[in-house]
Amino acid sequence: MKLELQKGSRSRILAGLLFAIVGIFIIRLFYLQVIQHDYYVALANSEQVKLLTLPAKRGVIYALDGSTPVQLVLNQTVYKVIADPYTTTDDKKIVDVVRRIAGGNARANIESLLDNKESRYAILATKVSRAQAEKIKEEGLAGIIFREQTQRVYPEGSLAAQTLGFVDFEGAGKYGIEGGLNDRLIGKEGLLKTVTDVSSIPLTIGDRNINRPAVDGENIVLSIDRNVQSHAEQALDAGLKRTGATQGSAIVMDPQTGKIIAMANLPTYSPAEFNKVQDGALFNNPIVSVPYEAASVIKTLTLSTGIEKGVIGLNSTYVNTDSITVDDRVISNATKGQTGTITFQHGFTWSLNTSTVTIAERLGDGQKVTRQARDTMYDFFVNKFGMGRFTGVEVSGEAAGTVVPPENVEGNAVRYSNMSFGQGMNVTMVQVASAFCSIVNGGQYYKPTVIAGKVDSSGTYIPNDNPEPIRRTISANTSEQMRIANQTSRALFDAKYDLKGFTIGGKTGTSQVIENGVYSQDESIGSYIGFGGDDTPRYVIMIQLSGKDKKLQGERDAMPVFTDISNWLLDYYKIQPKM
Amino acid sequence: MSYYQRNPEFTSRRQQNWSRNQNTVAFVSSVKLGPVAHTVLVALMITVLGLIYLTQATRATSYDYESQKIDSQIADLSTQKTDLEIENARLTALETVKKSTVAATLQAPSNTQFVGE
Repeated sequence: MKLELQKGSRSRILAGLLFAIVGIFIIRLFYLQVIQHDYYVALANSEQVKLLTLPAKRGVIYALDGSTPVQLVLNQTVYKVIADPYTTTDDKKIVDVVRRIAGGNARANIESLLDNKESRYAILATKVSRAQAEKIKEEGLAGIIFREQTQRVYPEGSLAAQTLGFVDFEGAGKYGIEGGLNDRLIGKEGLLKTVTDVSSIPLTIGDRNINRPAVDGENIVLSIDRNVQSHAEQALDAGLKRTGATQGSAIVMDPQTGKIIAMANLPTYSPAEFNKVQDGALFNNPIVSVPYEAASVIKTLTLSTGIEKGVIGLNSTYVNTDSITVDDRVISNATKGQTGTITFQHGFTWSLNTSTVTIAERLGDGQKVTRQARDTMYDFFVNKFGMGRFTGVEVSGEAAGTVVPPENVEGNAVRYSNMSFGQGMNVTMVQVASAFCSIVNGGQYYKPTVIAGKVDSSGTYIPNDNPEPIRRTISANTSEQMRIANQTSRALFDAKYDLKGFTIGGKTGTSQVIENGVYSQDESIGSYIGFGGDDTPRYVIMIQLSGKDKKLQGERDAMPVFTDISNWLLDYYKIQPKM
Repeated sequence: MSYYQRNPEFTSRRQQNWSRNQNTVAFVSSVKLGPVAHTVLVALMITVLGLIYLTQATRATSYDYESQKIDSQIADLSTQKTDLEIENARLTALETVKKSTVAATLQAPSNTQFVGE
């Protein structure tokens, strides 16, 4: 039998109605799924697909303890305790729990924060440790959430603060190594683009997921030895108290590699509390960033130049009259009375300005500091010893200083005469110490560095290769004579303070301070640079002490700090004395 | 006799041309399935296949949760490790060592002798 709905029957009407509804559905679905396809896919993706940034861990900074790396700056995960006052129920308990567990990290005004029920976000405590956060979680407080954040931790407190620098609240390294090597320390953030569920848990469904893992920052090992650094800071602090100086710096270098073993500056600050520092100048590392007139310690450079060029020897003589005329200026000695025919060694030992001006003259025609003499001095001071040039040390904020070239009008005979004893040019301590390393190590200039190596992801220390010298400054023979000159200089005045049986030499420097364009009579900076060891120089130390309206001297004030560190280092390095 | 039942005397055309290893008898079920039954069976098969697909897809997602759980444990353990490293660094810091009771009892050597190597 053939089934057929009769025309006009209710079944036929119902069938027609159903076809119409289905038709509407089909048209609507076609519109939604085909015509509006892209729109709804985008809408779904915005709901389901999350773009998550995978944070990279900032590299850990190590110092050395002898030859073993020790962590100096680490990362710690801490938490912010955040309340949604709109949803919190037992505010009294929240106040009690947060105060009891978070202690000093809790905000003082928790009650008022929770009372503001219109707010949906109130930070109740910051820098809460994981253990503290766990305890708060155990209390099961409604309306409380935790936000993870990372902070730098300094187990050694303010040790080497100006060398380390700090990381600001945006996670950027500032000053010191944190600033100078920020690109190496910061790592590279990863990216995760994926479909997530309502709890933001990534799911593997979907064919456009991206998972690019984060690359953690490099773990850097500094050449700073924490024991030497600590003693240098201690000796410097004692020096400041003894002399009344308000600022002091000390740098210890290995002259055979150019590695910086310690860089101490006082006053200092705590990198963990960088935000509490009132004076921004404290963040600078004056050893690399504050050029000054280093005064008589520069005589080591002038004497080296004279010997290297063959115009003088340590036993060559000149007539000292305690003053010398250059053009229209009279240059006098600070120490009077060593007059007559004296050797250049004698002039160096007594730090006579006339001796170095005479060397400058002999670099020319022997009568005047000619252009040829100035060119030679500039070549040695700048191109060889690196005065007035960036050394490339990795600490941020390095200053180049200033050495006026001889072709400038200001680069005249008077200036170069002054430069021969350390006035009229601005240099940094790291420049002078690096140059001095080359003067006593046989004439090889090494780039100063604070980097000893790195620690890989498995925790293995990978030391850098031994650095190669980047240029020769003077010959080995001149270097040998310079060691003798410095030893002789120290032997006359200061050898009584040294441990016996070691080779120790050094040079003082007392710089006048320029105020309003003229040298002040009320303020001076005391400096001392020297080396120590056995037959081979094992360390170079440079000290600088200064203070507003303080007349500080190299011999009286800076030298004892050198002696303190030097004697301690001889024991620390277990150098055997020659008996 | 059913139409499908074979008469032993019946000789099919195939049998007439049979050769070795060829079936000479065909089985025909006595159960007949109509169009409705076919439709139901197809619907059931589609449902079963759908369920299989869903279970597999859900299983992949359950692995995601498992993976997330493990990642979370790794992160937690990593944080604990870092906390322990920090504690270790604090306990072995120079200031801590200097202030320790052991350090307080140390004395400076009165005499140092050097032994040749």
